[in-house]
Amino acid sequence: MKKGVPLFITFISGFILIVALFIPHEPFGSLQERFNDWYIIVSGFTLILGIDSLLAYHYRKIKRKEKEAPYSFALLLTFIITLLWGIYSGIKHGNPFAPTSTFLRYFYTYVFVPLQATMFSLLAFFIASAAYRAFRARGLNATLLLISAGIVMLGRVPKGEDFSPYFIAVTFILIAIVCILEALPRISIYERVLFFGLAIISLILIFPIGIFLKTKLPLLSDWIMNVPQLGAKRGLFIGISLGAIAMALRIILGIERTYLK
Amino acid sequence: MIKIILFLFLYIPPLPPSNIKANDYPNDAGGKIEIKWELSPSDSIIDNYIIFRQEEIEGKWSLPETLEILPRGTNYFLDSNCKNKVKYRYFIRAIKGEIWSDSEFSNVAVAHAEWFHKKRTSVLILLIIILAFLLYFVRRAKKEELFIRKITGLDAIDEAVGRSTELGRPLLFILGLGTIAEIPTIAGLSILKRVSKKAGEYEVDIIVPCYDPVVFVAAQETVKEGFIEAGRPDLYKEGNVFFLSYDQFGYAAGCDGIMVRERPGAIFLQGYFYAESLILAETGNSIGAIQISGTTAVTQLPFFIAATDYTLIGEEMYAASAYLTRDPLSLATIKGEDYVKALLIIIVIAGLILETIAFLTKNSLFHFLKNFFEVI
Repeated sequence: MKKGVPLFITFISGFILIVALFIPHEPFGSLQERFNDWYIIVSGFTLILGIDSLLAYHYRKIKRKEKEAPYSFALLLTFIITLLWGIYSGIKHGNPFAPTSTFLRYFYTYVFVPLQATMFSLLAFFIASAAYRAFRARGLNATLLLISAGIVMLGRVPKGEDFSPYFIAVTFILIAIVCILEALPRISIYERVLFFGLAIISLILIFPIGIFLKTKLPLLSDWIMNVPQLGAKRGLFIGISLGAIAMALRIILGIERTYLK
Repeated sequence: MIKIILFLFLYIPPLPPSNIKANDYPNDAGGKIEIKWELSPSDSIIDNYIIFRQEEIEGKWSLPETLEILPRGTNYFLDSNCKNKVKYRYFIRAIKGEIWSDSEFSNVAVAHAEWFHKKRTSVLILLIIILAFLLYFVRRAKKEELFIRKITGLDAIDEAVGRSTELGRPLLFILGLGTIAEIPTIAGLSILKRVSKKAGEYEVDIIVPCYDPVVFVAAQETVKEGFIEAGRPDLYKEGNVFFLSYDQFGYAAGCDGIMVRERPGAIFLQGYFYAESLILAETGNSIGAIQISGTTAVTQLPFFIAATDYTLIGEEMYAASAYLTRDPLSLATIKGEDYVKALLIIIVIAGLILETIAFLTKNSLFHFLKNFFEVI
C-alpha cells in the first residue's frame, strides 16, 4: 500500500502524458503544460525545505565551532540581511528589485554578478589544464584528437589559415630535431636510418602540408565539425534518447523505484 | 512627363495579393487557421500587408477585423485566435503610403481540434515496437539470464568506495543541476542509492550537496534507503545531504569548497551538468580523488572524459540501475533498447541509400522514408 499508491499515480500520470503526445484534442493537448505548472507549484514549496536544510547545515557548523564556522556565519548573516532588506524593499517600493530599491540592486550588480563571473572565468584555466592532459599524444586516439583539435582551433581563430604554415613548420622542425637526437646515440644502422629518414620526411612534408592548410584550413575545420563530429554527436543523441525511453518505461511500469521511499 | 510618371507611381494603388487560401491548422487542439497567399505583383514597392478577418454570426458576416500587419514579402500567417467550429473568411490589403488595394476573400475556413497527431505516426509505431521488444525480453528474462556488456565506470564504483574507505575520507556525490523531472537526475539517484548502500557496508560517510530543493528531498530519502538496505541506518547522517545553492556557479563554488576542505577519496558526478562540469571535475582531479562521472549532456562529456577517471557516456548512465541491481525486468528493458537501436541503424542505412538514390535520380518518391520520420 505504501508503495502501491505512488506507483499507481506514476503509472497513470506517465500513461496519460504518453497518450497526450498523440492526441492534440482537449483536454489532452494542454496536459503537459498543466503538469509542468503543477511541478513548478510543488517545487516552490520544496524551496522552503531547501532553505531549512541550508540554514540548519550552517547553524550546526557554528554551534560545533568548526574551522569553517566564520564562513557559515557570513552566509547566515548575508541571508538574513538580504531577506529582511528584500521584505522592506518589497513593502516600500512594491518590488524588492524596483529601480528605486538601490540596496539590493547594488548588491546584485556589484557583488553577485562579479562573483558569478569570477567562477565562470575559472573555466578558461581549467580548460587549459584538462586540454593539456587530454591532448598528450599517448596513443593513436589521443594523437588523432590532438591533430583534429589543432585543425579545428586554427581553422576557427582569426587569421588561422595564415598562421598555420608557420605552426606546421615549427612543429615539423621540432619533430625532425627530436628524430635526429634519437638517431645519434643509436648503434644499430637500421635504427639510425629509420630516425634520419623520419627527420627528412618531416622536413619534406612542411611545404605541402603548409600550402594545403593555408588554402583549405577553414574548409577542413568545418568538415571535421559538420561530418565526423556531428555524426558522432547524433549517434550519442540516438543512444541517449533510447536510453531515456527505456528508463521512462521502467519508471512508468514500476520496474524502476529508486525515487520511492 | 516626369511629374505624370511620379503622379502615377505615387497614386496608382498597388496590385493586391491573390489566391488567398485559408485552412484549418493541422494536428492541433483547434483554434488555429493558416492563411497562405500569392504575393502581390507590386510586392517590391508596397509597405505592408494587412490581414483582415470576418466571422460568421447567425448567417451574416461580421465587420472586418484587423488581425496583423505584416512586412512585404510575407505570404503566410497563422491566425491563432479562432473559435472552433466557427466559419471565418479573410482578405488581405496591400498598402503603399496612403493608398491600398484589397484582395478577394479567401475560402471559408473552420478550425477543428484533431483526435490524432498524424505527423507523430512514426513515433507511435516506434513506441509500439519498443514495447513489443520489451515484453518479449521480459518473458525471456524469466527463463534465462540476459547478457549486457561490461560497463567499466559502474564496475569501478566498489573500487572507488573501497579506496575512499582505506584513505579514511568521505565520498562526495554531486547530482548536477538537473531537476527531478529530468531523467538523468533520476538515473543519478539510482547510482546514489547503490553508492549509499556501499557506503553503509564500508562504514564511510557520504556527502551530497544539492542544487535543486526537490532533488535534495529525494536525495535524502535515497541515501537513507541505501544505509537501511546495508543494515546500517545508524550511520546515516541527515546533515550530510543538504541543499547548497540554487545558483549555478554558487553551487560549483560550494562543491569546490567541500572538495578542498573535506578532501573526499571518491567523487561521483552523476546527473545533468552545464558549464560548471569542468570546474568540478578539475578541482576533484587536483585533490587526487578517484572520480566517476556520468551525464547525458553531450557538450559536457568531453570535459568529463578529459578530467575524470571513469565516465558513463549517455545511455550507460540510464543503464546503471539495471546493471547494478541485475534485476531481470530492468535488464530486459536494456536488451529491448539494444534491439531497437539495431533496428534504427538499419533504418538509418536504408534512409542513406534512399536519399542518395533520390539525389541521383531527382525522384522525390524516394524521400518517403525521410518524410515518414519527419516529426513536428
